[in-house]
Amino acid sequence: MTTATLPLTAARAERRKYSAKLPRRRIDFLLLLPSLLIVLLAIVGPFLTPYSATTISGAVSSAPSMAHLFGTDSVGLDVFSRVIGAARYNLVIAVATTLLCTVIGVVFGLGIGWFESARGAAGLVARGTTRLFDLLQAVPAILLGLVIVSFFGASVISLTVGMAIILAPIQMRLVRIEVLRVRKEAYLDAARMAGQNELKLLARHVLPNSIWVALENMSFLFATSILLTAALGFVGVGLRPPTPEWGSMISSATNDALTGRWWSAAFPSIAMMITVWAFSNASHALFGRIAPKKLAAAAASSSPVVPSSEAAAEAR
Amino acid sequence: MPEFLSRQRWWITRVLLLPLHLFVFAIITFLLLRLVPGDPVASVLGPNYTQAAYLTMQRALGLDGSVWSQLGRYIVEILHLDFGSSIQTGRAVMSEMGTRLPGTLELAVQGLFFTVLLSLVLSYVAVFHPKTVLARIVLVYSRAAGALPEFVLAVWALFVFFTVLHVAPAPLGRLSTDLPTQTVITGFPFLDTLIQGYTAGAISMAAHLVLPIAVMAIASSAVVIKVLVSSLQGAIQDPATAFRITTGSGRRATVLSVYRRAAPAVVTLVGQMFGYLVGGTIVLESLFGFAGLGSYAVKAVLSTDYPAIQGFLLVVAGITLIVYMIVDLAVMTVDPRRRPGSVGSN
Repeated sequence: MTTATLPLTAARAERRKYSAKLPRRRIDFLLLLPSLLIVLLAIVGPFLTPYSATTISGAVSSAPSMAHLFGTDSVGLDVFSRVIGAARYNLVIAVATTLLCTVIGVVFGLGIGWFESARGAAGLVARGTTRLFDLLQAVPAILLGLVIVSFFGASVISLTVGMAIILAPIQMRLVRIEVLRVRKEAYLDAARMAGQNELKLLARHVLPNSIWVALENMSFLFATSILLTAALGFVGVGLRPPTPEWGSMISSATNDALTGRWWSAAFPSIAMMITVWAFSNASHALFGRIAPKKLAAAAASSSPVVPSSEAAAEAR
Repeated sequence: MPEFLSRQRWWITRVLLLPLHLFVFAIITFLLLRLVPGDPVASVLGPNYTQAAYLTMQRALGLDGSVWSQLGRYIVEILHLDFGSSIQTGRAVMSEMGTRLPGTLELAVQGLFFTVLLSLVLSYVAVFHPKTVLARIVLVYSRAAGALPEFVLAVWALFVFFTVLHVAPAPLGRLSTDLPTQTVITGFPFLDTLIQGYTAGAISMAAHLVLPIAVMAIASSAVVIKVLVSSLQGAIQDPATAFRITTGSGRRATVLSVYRRAAPAVVTLVGQMFGYLVGGTIVLESLFGFAGLGSYAVKAVLSTDYPAIQGFLLVVAGITLIVYMIVDLAVMTVDPRRRPGSVGSN
């Protein structure tokens, strides 16, 4: 088969090009560095900060100075310590949400994509589940999050689970489309003829070939969940006040900003932006190397004719 | 006639499915809300109540009987377009929605309009004049899509333009407090001032709207630009563009044809952006002191107000689903390949 030899040569060409540009590896490492630093800061930061993030440490609303690098907020908490302390909460929530919703999305995407056009009960359940996911996406994420999180009480776990439920449809759709692409491939028939059962087929052949787009999308989900946590904190259902969290810090600092005390709102939002930027760079560095071919294959086959209601979920 | 039906099936089924979807959505939210911890009857009565008072209040709120009999009553009610009354305020959910929703919708639509406008202009610069400084800025900005949520931008914008520069009005509502409020005609606040020719009100309202709309447009256009630029670049590579140029079309006709071929992906995205902007509006409303759905939703949720929560979820989902449907139909009209059952779709 000529098509079987093509990717090989392309891969070889790619490798040659790569070895010619070795210094790029260093750039990749540099792209990973900021996110690693942030993770490190989240782990050891609370031990290094001058004050506790949850106890009053100085005068109310004092401007940035040597004693309080980022100033203090309207209650007298040290903004610098809180910005660092919040990194831990925000990162844990965002990472856990990203992983959980990817797991949910992959499981459902595999199942739905595989059984969607099956006859009988399995097909019906699969198609019904797709519709349910559609309905879930009809409500803006922030409203849905508001309902879910406030009912189960704002905690790290309820925020994570709630946002994972909200974001899972995005991953589900990406995986489903990939499964539909992979489903007809010849290697599946080959594996079947070699006597593999369907479950093994899904796990060993369909899963590894349909998961890449969803994995690459994790950086987007990470950013989204950081911002969604912050937005929920902003409308008032985030973690309870003394707990440091960037969104609720910005929210409670709004009045400060309106009266000219900019520092208590500025620093948490800068921290949030740097984090989102750092992690999206890290994902570019990682996936730009590991999976360019897999992603290219997926992109090439999701040809101009995409059913309309599906197209947007990928873009968002 | 049957032939007509089968040919028009693509849009008829799409339209007929909408009420069905909403109905299923209503039932699911009803059942899910009943799973949630928290007893609204107890929260209305306060800490001290007798068994008898509890039962009467339960009956008054329509929370007596089994979940299934409640569901039965609820279904009958929503089929009559009656969403019940709020447990906390006692006012009908439908009328509360009627006064609060238009403001939110208006802001979301205005935000969407300027998002699209900004994206069209900036994507044109980025794609057709790629060597300019502005184009580079636009591309970097679109790659950072989503890193700046609108509420952060809004806080910064308020600090710069209200606190420091004193050019923006105070974030305390849609109208300056010294102006009389406009009479309600359509319920959409800005539209109402325009219809009545209430010039001072319209100007004041426009001044109050500049910041929130600018913030929304800047925050959400990054995503639109990203998609628009990539689909425009794809459309330029098409043989159709080469055909245009070789057959002697002018620059304008060529550019127009590129935009038209890039349109479907963007139209779909813009539909999705609408739902996203409604969410963004809810956050911005609280910041700018606008009356709208946001504060209602937060209050309803925090007080376990079943009818109010069901009401706003259903209304918002209904509006979003209608917008999605319109977008889908528009795309399918423009591009028949996207109709269900056509060759190549799955």
